[in-house]
Amino acid sequence: MHKYLEIARVYMKTQLAWRADVIFNMIFTVTKILFAYLLWGLIFRERSMVGEFTFHGILSYYIVSSFLSQLEMSRSVSGEIHERIRNGTFSKYMIVPVNVEGYFIFMELGMIAFYFVFDLLAAVVWRFVFRIEFSFASDPVAIVCGVLTAALGLLFMVELNFWLGILTLKYQGIEAFLMIKNNLMELATGSIVPLALFPEIAVGVMRCLPFYYVTYLPAMLLTGQCGDEAVTGVAVIAAWCVGMQLVLAATWKKYIRKYDGVGI
Amino acid sequence: MRSRIRKNRKVLQAMLALRFHGLTVFRLDFFAPFFIDGSLFAIQLLAFSAVYSNVDTVGGWGRGEMILYIGTFSLLNAVSMTLYFFGVCRIPDKVKSGELDLYLTKPVSPLFRLSFENISPGSVPLIFLSIAILAYGGRVAQPEICGRSVAAYCFWIAVMAVLYYEMEVLLRSVSLYLVSSARMDQLEEAGIALCMKLPGIAFYGVYKVIFYLLLPYGIMATLPVQSLIGEMDGRLAAYGIFVVLLFSGLTAAVWKRGLRRYNSASS
Repeated sequence: MHKYLEIARVYMKTQLAWRADVIFNMIFTVTKILFAYLLWGLIFRERSMVGEFTFHGILSYYIVSSFLSQLEMSRSVSGEIHERIRNGTFSKYMIVPVNVEGYFIFMELGMIAFYFVFDLLAAVVWRFVFRIEFSFASDPVAIVCGVLTAALGLLFMVELNFWLGILTLKYQGIEAFLMIKNNLMELATGSIVPLALFPEIAVGVMRCLPFYYVTYLPAMLLTGQCGDEAVTGVAVIAAWCVGMQLVLAATWKKYIRKYDGVGI
Repeated sequence: MRSRIRKNRKVLQAMLALRFHGLTVFRLDFFAPFFIDGSLFAIQLLAFSAVYSNVDTVGGWGRGEMILYIGTFSLLNAVSMTLYFFGVCRIPDKVKSGELDLYLTKPVSPLFRLSFENISPGSVPLIFLSIAILAYGGRVAQPEICGRSVAAYCFWIAVMAVLYYEMEVLLRSVSLYLVSSARMDQLEEAGIALCMKLPGIAFYGVYKVIFYLLLPYGIMATLPVQSLIGEMDGRLAAYGIFVVLLFSGLTAAVWKRGLRRYNSASS
């Protein structure tokens, strides 16, 4: 465990080298909130409720959702694995005495630990800049389940991106597929529009998918909504994490033999 | 002037032939832009469909007008992806590596060659997809379309395609002045991501100054749609032309001045 914590610590320190990135990442979190502020501001001029949301309720959702989306940085995992398999430097991970997936999970953990404070700071700043009357959950069970669901959601995303990355061993070029996946994720995680505004049947389908639990459900729970889904949400995303782990193990075992260390 | 156009046409033909040759080597990449950007705009349609299942209008625009807006942005993006995006986006790399030298020494405009050497035929289906979105939007919105409004729409699409191109070149010309222009890419990405989801009618006050003047992504799809649905007046039209002329001058000045500052490899 010590060596994995060391990996997290090293990646946390590494982020300090890219100070401008941290500042710009903080600034650009505003685009999602600005989009919500302008779009929903226009809509709420003519009404006081849309679905279950009030104006400040929906903006609170976007603040939390944007904060969680910023923490979800695992897309770099699939990109890095893809790149390294293509140029043959993936061997780096195979000679270090750690589990490769564990390496990436703790790498992500180190990055999240670093960005957590700055993204939280950005969320607080935007809350004051846009004068949002933030509605936070009062039920402790919802808060605990929201945090747990978000943490498991982040773990699931690392697993998913690790799995997509190692598919390079079979399919060689997966960049286009990764970009399409990123586009779909925007919709499926409720980053553009809260999923509650979709027809009930669509929400039912989304509930069966893991993406519902990555940012949407935690954001809803932490803003005091969907309380009845709190416990089941934790159970479902935990089950998805276990399932993904099994798929990952099988894929790794099957394709890692194809890696010849010379690039494609 | 005529001989210059003829020469550029021949250069363009040669570059197109070379590009086709390159794309046939990497066949899987051929239609990648179509699937990537196609999915992006399909998602916008789904997202706004969810919004409109809860409200009737957004700032006076109904579902049809919003589909027309998404289709228009998709069309501008499709034109960019097909003609010049894959060329212009490499400007910072060419400046950084000193590869721009090769373009400066050739007897053809460096910007012309940079812009059109990576035409993407695989993005052409995006144009058809955009037209299909527009046709669907037109059916839902049922604006009073006459020959004049269609001509006005086509005119504004052409004008805004020029503005879109100028913005791409302008933001990448910064690489001629600074060591890293990564922030400019981020700025462009953020501006486009916001304005492809949000029509210009949503902006007011300082946001209008930013997205109608400083980063004019807010007018790019809004003005063509307003010309089609009869919401455009003379003042707005004059403003649109003014912005395009302003950015034409700015882009030309920044590019030309930047080339003079360029001191070859690793500048």
